[in-house]
Amino acid sequence: MVEYTLLIILFAPFVGALALIFVSNRQLSLVRGIAAGSAFVSLIASVYLFYAYDPLKGGYQFIQRIEWSRQLGISLHLGVDGIGTPLVLASSILLFAGIFVSWHIKDRVKEFYIWLLILAAATIGVFMSLDLFFLYFFYEMSVIPMYLLLGMWGSHTKKYLEMTDAEGLKQRDSVGFIFNFGANSKEYAAMKLVLFLSAFAVAALMGILLIYKFSGLNTFDILVLREQAHFSGPLATLIWLLIFFGFASIAPIWPLHSWSPVGHAAAPAATSMLHAGVLMKLGHFSIIRVAFEILPETTRELMPIAAVLCIFSIIYGGLVAYYAKDTKYVIGYSSSSHMGYVFLGMAALDYISLSGAVIYMFAHAMATGMLFAMAGWVYDQTHTRDIPSLGGLSNRMPFISAAFVIGCMASIGMPGTVNFIAEVMIIVGSWNKYPFQVVVAVLGIVLTMAYLFKMMRGLFYGSMAEKYSHSHDAVTVVDRMPLLIMITVSISFGIFPGHLYSVVRSGVDPLIARITKVVPVAEHPMNLPHATSPTVPTSASREALAKVTPR
Amino acid sequence: MTFSLTLSVSDLLLLLPELFLTAWLCVVLIVDFSFKRIVQEQLAYLSILGLVITLACLAWFDMTGITGTLFGKMFVLDRMAIFFKVMILLATILVILLSIDYVHRFSFFRGEYYFLVVMSALGMMFMTSANDLLSLFVTLEFATFGFYVLVSYLRDDMASNEAGLKFFILGVFAAGLLAYGISLVYGETGKLVFSEMIGAAPTTGLVIGFLLIFAALGFKIGAVPFHSWIPDTYHGAPTPVTAFLSIAPKVAAFAILLRLFLVALATFKPAWALLIVATSILSMTYGNIVAIAQRNVKRLLAYSGIAQVGNVLIGLAAGTKMGTDSILFYLLTYLFANLGAFAVIMAISNAVGSDEIEDYSGLNRRSPFLAFAMLIFLLSLAGVPPLAGFIGKLYIFVAAIKEGLYILITVGLVNIVVSMYYYLIVVKKMYINEPLDSSPIKTTGPLRAVIYVGLAGTLVIGIYPQPFLDWAVAATLMFSNLLGPAASIPVSVAPFGG
Repeated sequence: MVEYTLLIILFAPFVGALALIFVSNRQLSLVRGIAAGSAFVSLIASVYLFYAYDPLKGGYQFIQRIEWSRQLGISLHLGVDGIGTPLVLASSILLFAGIFVSWHIKDRVKEFYIWLLILAAATIGVFMSLDLFFLYFFYEMSVIPMYLLLGMWGSHTKKYLEMTDAEGLKQRDSVGFIFNFGANSKEYAAMKLVLFLSAFAVAALMGILLIYKFSGLNTFDILVLREQAHFSGPLATLIWLLIFFGFASIAPIWPLHSWSPVGHAAAPAATSMLHAGVLMKLGHFSIIRVAFEILPETTRELMPIAAVLCIFSIIYGGLVAYYAKDTKYVIGYSSSSHMGYVFLGMAALDYISLSGAVIYMFAHAMATGMLFAMAGWVYDQTHTRDIPSLGGLSNRMPFISAAFVIGCMASIGMPGTVNFIAEVMIIVGSWNKYPFQVVVAVLGIVLTMAYLFKMMRGLFYGSMAEKYSHSHDAVTVVDRMPLLIMITVSISFGIFPGHLYSVVRSGVDPLIARITKVVPVAEHPMNLPHATSPTVPTSASREALAKVTPR
Repeated sequence: MTFSLTLSVSDLLLLLPELFLTAWLCVVLIVDFSFKRIVQEQLAYLSILGLVITLACLAWFDMTGITGTLFGKMFVLDRMAIFFKVMILLATILVILLSIDYVHRFSFFRGEYYFLVVMSALGMMFMTSANDLLSLFVTLEFATFGFYVLVSYLRDDMASNEAGLKFFILGVFAAGLLAYGISLVYGETGKLVFSEMIGAAPTTGLVIGFLLIFAALGFKIGAVPFHSWIPDTYHGAPTPVTAFLSIAPKVAAFAILLRLFLVALATFKPAWALLIVATSILSMTYGNIVAIAQRNVKRLLAYSGIAQVGNVLIGLAAGTKMGTDSILFYLLTYLFANLGAFAVIMAISNAVGSDEIEDYSGLNRRSPFLAFAMLIFLLSLAGVPPLAGFIGKLYIFVAAIKEGLYILITVGLVNIVVSMYYYLIVVKKMYINEPLDSSPIKTTGPLRAVIYVGLAGTLVIGIYPQPFLDWAVAATLMFSNLLGPAASIPVSVAPFGG
């Protein structure tokens, strides 16, 4: 049973989706029950996975390998390392929470849950794929459910709906494809998201095909390629760029981000949660899994690109979030701004900073999941996302506003939340290499405070318009549970980060050692295994690093 | 050259599927006019019975490994021919199922319709076995003959008549090109059998001859620049005939293309690869870009079919054993997705009475099953995992990248994104837009059966392709000598297709 943990996590949502096909839409409680049940199975299994993963042993664990195609050298090769484990956990937490967040959906409930389950299962599949083919398979598979979720259950922007005169209607139909300045229909957002992600996904696929060809090994297996494939020269650069930008588009790194806030804004709450919480991390994760593992030398040479672009991500995303007037745009841009921190942590190629980046991915999933869930709640109650027209909602919804404060604190990185640990690790870890970026990142935190507090004030404090006096708080268990889960996770890992840290370190150490060619601390005979002192990075690692890394 | 006309029983065994089907055709025809009271549905099921028996016979051949050549190598039955024949029979069975409801729209000759469909299938089965230039010409015309009638079967419909005329004129023109090409090639080499042409000196006449033959076959598969008949013919023809036309002749013509390029012209690969690469790039790009502008779903599938052919040609450009496998596999995935999509189109046109994309608005509310099926088929055509089309595309790309066709693959990948747009436009209509008329749509049994087969094929091949890949690989063992680029003859002395 234990060895099938990954299969259970991956296939429980698929089985749930399959079962839902045969249920009538009228049996509402059965539909919700199946969706929640399958998500719960997945959640339990991934909690087990998280605690059963042995950080002392490290490496890939719970490996499953099923031959899939001999001719192409593909097998369904699943396994998690210290980087995949927390992300699998985050995905299944968000899926479970998302099912409850969308409890009140009225239209085509069954279909909604089917696509939501497929979306989540596909993202989980990426986090555990050890085969390039299946990594791409699940990655691309997660895109189409997004299209349907946005298109069918999403919402238009205010500006789009305001275009009701003849001229405006004409403009509405012929909205320019790339730039349409906030007047987005949900169809536009969905199409843009799919085309953007597919366009960059095929770039990544080209990179994968080049790896396949030039490794000459006739296999897509990452573990084999990592050991035996060697790339150098312009070819390695080309492959690395294709892989990096192909996957960074979903992350989304600065010039490739424009689909993301538009998509967030159009999406229903649960989809935004999964989108911002885990879908965006597919980008970072795939870069780590493919580029870092297979092309370590090129990664060392070219990762400064990410360090440059992340400045723009952080500042640009933060500034737009500050001036945006739509709740979901604010959170969407804040997400793309925060993803810049992850890129910073990755770019520094340091044990601490990369661990920080991975923990940040986990932490951000919880924090942004909360914020989107609550923005969705406010939208359901008031039918608007326009911040200036809202206000004073804390009287009507005390629980939501309290939770929102916690969500903002988590997002800013208050001590006590796991975000704090992650941010500190990123900043400390990349200080040696990229002091300028660290200064920008700290400014970005200030900016985050500014726009989140601004939004918090705009939504919950001040005077309330009369028409919102009928809005409700989240009172039932079903409505409060998803928020409580995410808050609990965020705070408990903020206070007890030990296991999370040692799990992540066990995944990061061999990776960074390969890239920077430093002997990993854990393997060094003079040192005790790092897991014995989880919260404090061993001084030896810093010294070892300082010897090799140029300042 | 001399023909040996002595046929033994074991020789006839190789022809058994075709002989049986010919006899069955006669039975269908006789039953049609002997029993005045016969309902046309019974004829349809009678035809299907014959086709299923033939299919069983081919399955037996495939398992026991019965292969061989006949009539001085004119006719060859190898495992590749069996693979193609199975595909053609499968397509024919599904098309007959599609036709059962549609035939009521024909004012006359309802019984002959099935006769013509099965006759075309018979012609195409012969085509997949054609192994020399003569049998190529005869079988190709035999197969097309039935289609000339079928396309214009809606006698009162101007569009159908126009489609038939266009198809006929261009088809006859292509036949002329083919005959001329054959005469040139025969004149230059004195050989008719493909396998005996290997190593012929590349004279100008031979190059022109092969180019003409390629043009005629390009017409069959609908590759740019020989595609001009496709949109109007697809649009005007009765929908089941369009469905038939969109898959079976392409499959049969690819069998000939494979034999022609990989057997007869194997040594000139560096030269003709350029020709195929150019055709492939043109087909994919043109098909996908023009498909964006379509408002009629049959035309949309016509242009998407042009683009799909471009994709298949990537496998031919690779020109290796793996490229051949990928072509066979891709055509199989295309068969299920395309015929399934046509089944949905017919179900909707039965209810709505038109094929405009606008009429698909809110299909999800009117018939969730049809909308879901169409979604799966379109996404498979677009190449989205975990559907069969994705594996097919990936297999072709892998085969091509092993041969270093980087530009071609890049174009192919970009085209996937372009095609995603217009397939998703249909998905948007079905799922996102609200219905103009919210009455539910009923589907009949035979259409439902086709949709189920299409769904099963698309999902099963997409999720577990290994047995199908094995089948395709086993079918092309004859090409296993095609290892790597055929660099034995330098490009400079082989100006083929250049």
